[in-house]
Amino acid sequence: MRSLLLAVLAAYIVAAIHSVLAFMNKRRSLQRTADLSLAGGFVLHTAALIADWVVDGHYPLFFLRETLSFLAWTLVAAYGLVLYRYRARALGSFTLPLVCLLTFVAILVRSGSDPTTATGLSPTWLFPIHTTLLFFAYAAFFVVFVASVMYLLQERELKLKTFGAVFHRLPSLTTVNEIATTSAVTGLTLLTVGIATGMLWSSARDGRLWHNDPKEIFAALTWFLYFLLIVYRSTARWRGRRAAWMGVAGFALVLCTFFGARLMGGYHVFG
Amino acid sequence: MSIVLIGVNHKSAPVEVRELLAFSDEACTQGLRTLIDGEVLREGLIVSTCNRVEVVTAMAEGQSTEGMARVTSFLSDSRKLPLKLFDRHLYNHTDADAVTHLFRVASSLDSMVVGEPQVLGQVRRAYSLAIEAGTAGRVLNRLIHHTFRVAKRVRSETGIAANAVSLSYMAVELGKKIFDSLAGRTVMLVGAGEMAELSARHLVNGGASRLLIANRNEDAARRLVQEFGGEVVDFNHMAPHLAQADFVICSTSADEYIVTEALVRESLAQRRNRPACFIDMSVPRNVDPAIGKMPNMFLFDVDDLEAVVASNIREREREAERAELIVQSEVMQFQQSLRAMDIGPAMGALRHKLQDIARTELDRQRGRLGKLTPEQEAAIEALLISTVNKISHPVLTQMRRSFEASDAETLQSLRDVFGIDE
Repeated sequence: MRSLLLAVLAAYIVAAIHSVLAFMNKRRSLQRTADLSLAGGFVLHTAALIADWVVDGHYPLFFLRETLSFLAWTLVAAYGLVLYRYRARALGSFTLPLVCLLTFVAILVRSGSDPTTATGLSPTWLFPIHTTLLFFAYAAFFVVFVASVMYLLQERELKLKTFGAVFHRLPSLTTVNEIATTSAVTGLTLLTVGIATGMLWSSARDGRLWHNDPKEIFAALTWFLYFLLIVYRSTARWRGRRAAWMGVAGFALVLCTFFGARLMGGYHVFG
Repeated sequence: MSIVLIGVNHKSAPVEVRELLAFSDEACTQGLRTLIDGEVLREGLIVSTCNRVEVVTAMAEGQSTEGMARVTSFLSDSRKLPLKLFDRHLYNHTDADAVTHLFRVASSLDSMVVGEPQVLGQVRRAYSLAIEAGTAGRVLNRLIHHTFRVAKRVRSETGIAANAVSLSYMAVELGKKIFDSLAGRTVMLVGAGEMAELSARHLVNGGASRLLIANRNEDAARRLVQEFGGEVVDFNHMAPHLAQADFVICSTSADEYIVTEALVRESLAQRRNRPACFIDMSVPRNVDPAIGKMPNMFLFDVDDLEAVVASNIREREREAERAELIVQSEVMQFQQSLRAMDIGPAMGALRHKLQDIARTELDRQRGRLGKLTPEQEAAIEALLISTVNKISHPVLTQMRRSFEASDAETLQSLRDVFGIDE
């Protein structure tokens, strides 16, 4: 699987470089190369994940290696959707380097031992749904984050009237605002269902819905913050800069949920 | 044939000189008919715009000094202008340099405002005048068509014309940056200054659907409404209208703030934080700068607009560097295609090839002929060569004819038949 993942990494690197160059030079031919190699990488990546699943016999989301690779895959999928819907290619210049990094680390990290001994949990059909939903939620929140950063960068230039190189290359304020809002709603929906399936799974196992586990607490906080963000946005009180800052802050919480909980222990040890 | 370009532009000559050298359409065709003699000067066209007067000619090889002298004296005679008045402003370019120059002109790289779209049309006009005068031939036809291709490539592959560089168009530019599309947007015009009017017109042309006009003098407002639609609103009660506007363009002659912070605050509740773009075209300013600090309110005064223009010009210049690379590679391609058209070498190659065959055959069979006197030997060789030349003559004639008729296909097939590549 490693060689397949290397091919994936190569395709992503080509896509990332072309995407960044296209962002700087605004050349359509570069964009085409970026799109094609990204599509190729994504197909290979999907194949790699399926192969992992088939060969290892468990859903490929147990070990750090697998989660990183899966996260990269969801990010590419999310970027693809934004590209399809909004033509916001600038997003790729921010997302694809991260995708490359995640894939690269996924290749470096060694596989752990048998998943059931590693976690002490027996996976059921709920596990893939629970984790997949949450990973897509993370990807959606990453899009909110990048769109918010683009908003802030651009709003700053418009307010200060310093029209630099970024000004000519980012999508309009309305577009990034819309991307952030749509992604936040998508992310929150996925997060809600993801948490719900987690609770369902947990109660099926030991009858408890809630374990006061760090990951659970952070997830709840994250959920609350994005819920606020969406409520505020929809009542139109917090449009623009403040909402964008919230999108950035929310992502900090997402990172805590994803990585922080791992360091603080608890029973959500994987991923 | 060599291509020579002689002329003046806005960089080399002041307007006083350029206006004296300028050609009207009629003067252009007439002038070309007198200039092009078919001997030294084979083909020609004149590009005459407010920024440049350039004569592009195709001259007989090796006679370009003579040709250039004729073009300058033609300029002096036809414009009735002593040569010493404009001589030092003239530049001349030959062959690759001339081609480069023309490509750059048509791609708007040599323009006062890089990326302006008019110049290509002016080159096109110059070409049709030359066709009318009958002075555009094989070389210029090819050159001009290649020029159009380069200009099109530069326009589509670089962002040389992407960002607006006029002050009145900035509202559209900034609006797109904030709102993405102007469709369905409401524009409010406060005052009726000329600049503001022009900006509003650009916005309406760009898709803005509603125009509100507030003016202290309502008659002036009504006049504007008659001209390009919209509604007159009460100048003294602007707040409810401000709440609906996405763009507020202000230019009055008042020397105080007309759009005050209090007014905008009043409209804020109704706006529900929808962003708004204020453009203040008046000096002294009519929009309170404090508005620009409010969330989702973007305010630009004249200086700010100038800054965007400057930034856009920088952006165009960056794109222009890439355009120069395209021009360079296209010049090389054009030179190659011109060389391919030049059949002199091809004809020589054909003749040599056939003569070589004759000589090789003679060498091979020489042994069988026994002893021959040097005269006899020379006679045999002469016989062979003249036979070969007689056979190749109609082929060469046909090549020449296809060449004159720009029939590249026949030329190529003749080359293929005899296996001559370059």
